[in-house]
Amino acid sequence: MHGRRRQHEREPTADEKAQAQQRVERYCVLSTQVAELKAANTYTVEALSLTKQLLEQNTELHSVWNYRRQIFMHLDSWQDMDARQQALERELAFLLEIITKNIKSYWMWNHRVWALGALPRPEWQRELGLVAKLLALDARNYHGWNYRRFVVAHLRAAREDAGAVDEQEFAFTTEQITRDCANHAAWHNRSKLLPAILAQRGEPQAVLQAETDLILNAIYTDPDDQNAWLYYDWLLDIQTSDTDRVRLLRGKVAAIRELLELEEDGKWPLVELVGAFAELDKLQPGAVTDAEKGEALETLRRLKSIDPLHIGRYTDMLRTLGGRWGSLAT
Amino acid sequence: MEPTDPCSALLADKHVEFIKRLDKKHDELEYWMTEHLRVSGIYWGLVALFLLDKPAALDHQQIVTYILGCQNSDGGFGGHTNHDSHLLYTMSAVQVLLMLGALDQIDTKRVTDYVVGLQRDGMVSGDEWGEQDTRFAFIAVAILSQLGTLEQLDTQGIVDYVRSAMNYDGGFGSGPGGESHAAQVYTCLACLAILGQLHVVDRERLSGWLAERQLKCGGLNGRPQKLEDVCYSWWVLSSLEILGRVHWVDRQKLCGFILSAQDEERGGIADRPGDVPDVYHTCFGMAGLSLAGFKGYALKPVDPVYCMPKDIVERAGLGSWTDKVPESWRE
Repeated sequence: MHGRRRQHEREPTADEKAQAQQRVERYCVLSTQVAELKAANTYTVEALSLTKQLLEQNTELHSVWNYRRQIFMHLDSWQDMDARQQALERELAFLLEIITKNIKSYWMWNHRVWALGALPRPEWQRELGLVAKLLALDARNYHGWNYRRFVVAHLRAAREDAGAVDEQEFAFTTEQITRDCANHAAWHNRSKLLPAILAQRGEPQAVLQAETDLILNAIYTDPDDQNAWLYYDWLLDIQTSDTDRVRLLRGKVAAIRELLELEEDGKWPLVELVGAFAELDKLQPGAVTDAEKGEALETLRRLKSIDPLHIGRYTDMLRTLGGRWGSLAT
Repeated sequence: MEPTDPCSALLADKHVEFIKRLDKKHDELEYWMTEHLRVSGIYWGLVALFLLDKPAALDHQQIVTYILGCQNSDGGFGGHTNHDSHLLYTMSAVQVLLMLGALDQIDTKRVTDYVVGLQRDGMVSGDEWGEQDTRFAFIAVAILSQLGTLEQLDTQGIVDYVRSAMNYDGGFGSGPGGESHAAQVYTCLACLAILGQLHVVDRERLSGWLAERQLKCGGLNGRPQKLEDVCYSWWVLSSLEILGRVHWVDRQKLCGFILSAQDEERGGIADRPGDVPDVYHTCFGMAGLSLAGFKGYALKPVDPVYCMPKDIVERAGLGSWTDKVPESWRE
C-alpha cells in the first residue's frame, strides 16, 4: 500500500490476462485449501507445508501464522525437546529468509518472538547479532529495534550483572552514533539507557557533561537536525539542580551564538535561542536581560518569514512571551 | 511518469466510484491478498464516503450482514469470515456497525468480554498470541467506550502503560522504549482523551514535534527524516487537533499535498503523488482534508479521536471527551 508508482500501461494482452487469472486461481485454491484444513483443526506435517507455501506468498495472513503455530504445537514431535529445537531453528531460518521481503511486517516479527519463547535452548546472543545485521540494512526500522529490546531484556534477566548489559547497549548506541550522528533510533535508545547508566556510574555529573559534549558535536555537524536539539533539551531537563540547568542554558545560548555566526537565519538555532531565553526567565526571573527579551521577540517575528509553514506556532509563542514580558511586545 | 499538474480540486465523484469498485476487483490478485483486512477496508471506505456526504453509495444491509458474519465464537471479529479474531478488526467492525446504526445487532457483553480478556497487568494484547502495543490500549478503550462498557477495563493500568511509552521528545512509541512515531502518538493521545488524562502529556514539546512533521512540499511525515505520506495527514493532524494546535502547521499547503496525491484517472488517493491509490490513504487523506478545513468541498467534520463523522460520534454520546481536555489548553 506504500511506495508503489502508478504505471500508465497499455491494456494487457489476452495472454497476460490469462496468466494473471491463473495466478489468482492458484492463490485462491491454496488459500481455500489452508482455510478448510484450519477449520477442520488439521494438525499434520502436510498442513504445515501448505501454510509455508501460502505464507511465502503473503506474509500478512495472521490467521495462517496462528494456525502454523498451532500445528507445530500439536505435532507429536513437539513433545521431544531435541525435535522441537530443530524444528524451531529451521523456522527461524525460514523467517530470516522471508523477513527481508517485508521488514515491516508485524506478524513475522511476532512469529519470531513466539519461536524464541518456545525454543528449549534459545540463543539470545546470536539473535542480538542477527538483529544488529538487520538494523544495519535499515537503521530506522522500529520493528527491529523493538525486537532488539526484547532480546536484550532476556539477556539482562539471564545475567547477574544487569548493569553490564546496559553498558553494552549504551556502547552499541555510541557506536551507531559515531558512525552516523543523525541516527535518531540510536539517540532515542540512548535516552532510555542514560538514566540507568547515570545511576550506576560513580560520577553522574561527568557522564552528563560528556553527553552534553556529544550532542553539541552532533549539533555542530548538522544544526538542522531537529532530533539533536530535542536530545539537548532533554539533557537539560534531567539535570538535578536548577543551578546546573541555568549554567547549561547559558552554555546553550553561547553555542547558538556561534552557530548563528555561521548562518544567521538558521531556523533551529533561532527557535532554540528563543526557547533558551524563555526557560532561563522561568528558572531565574531577572536572569534574562531586557535586550535579550527584545531579541527573542524579534527572533520570533523573523522566524515567521524564515519558516512560514509554522507561522501559527510563532504567533502563539509571541503572544505567550509578549504577554509574560509585558511592554516589550510590540 | 509524474502527473503534470497537482490537482487543486477534490475529485469527489471519482473517489466515490473508486470505493464502490473495491469489492468488484475479483480478477486482481491484490483483492484476494488483502482479504485478511477486508473489514478494515470497509471501515476506511465508509469513512471516506461519509465525509464526502455520500453514505448511501454502498449497500448498508449487505455490509452489516457481512460484518456480523466475521464475528467468531470468542466474541471478537476477524478481518474476514473465518479469520481469527484480533482487536484491529474488532475495532473496525464496531466502528462500521456504529456508523451504520447497527450496533444493537451485536451482543455487547460478548465483545466486551473478548476485549477485557486481552488485558493483563494493565497492558493490552492484540489477540491471544500476546503482541502488546499502545495501539491496542487505544483500541480497547475506543471499543468499550462505543459499547458503553469502559468501566470493565482497568483504565488506570492503561494510562500507566501509555505513560511508559512517552519519550524524551514528548512523543509516544509502541510501548516502553519504543521510538516516537506519529501513528502511536495519535493512538496514545486519543486513548488519553477518552480517559480524560491528557494532562500527562508534555503539550509544548509534543506540539512542536508534531508541527515539525510538515515538510516543504506541504506533506507530513511520521517521524524525523522520513518521507511524507498522506496517511500522516490523519495521524499528525488529529493529534494536533486533540492538542488544540492544528494551526501550528500550514493547512493550506497540506491540502494541496493531499489533493496532488489523487489519481485523476482511477479515483482514490495514494500515499504520495504519482503512486497507486488505495482505500486506506483515501480514508485518511479525506479525514486530513476535513480536519484541515478544506474549503473546496463541503466535507463533513471528523472527530479526531474516533476518526468517524462528528455528528455520528456526538449522536452516540462519545463527543464528551472534549469536555475533559485540560482547562489550560483551551485558549
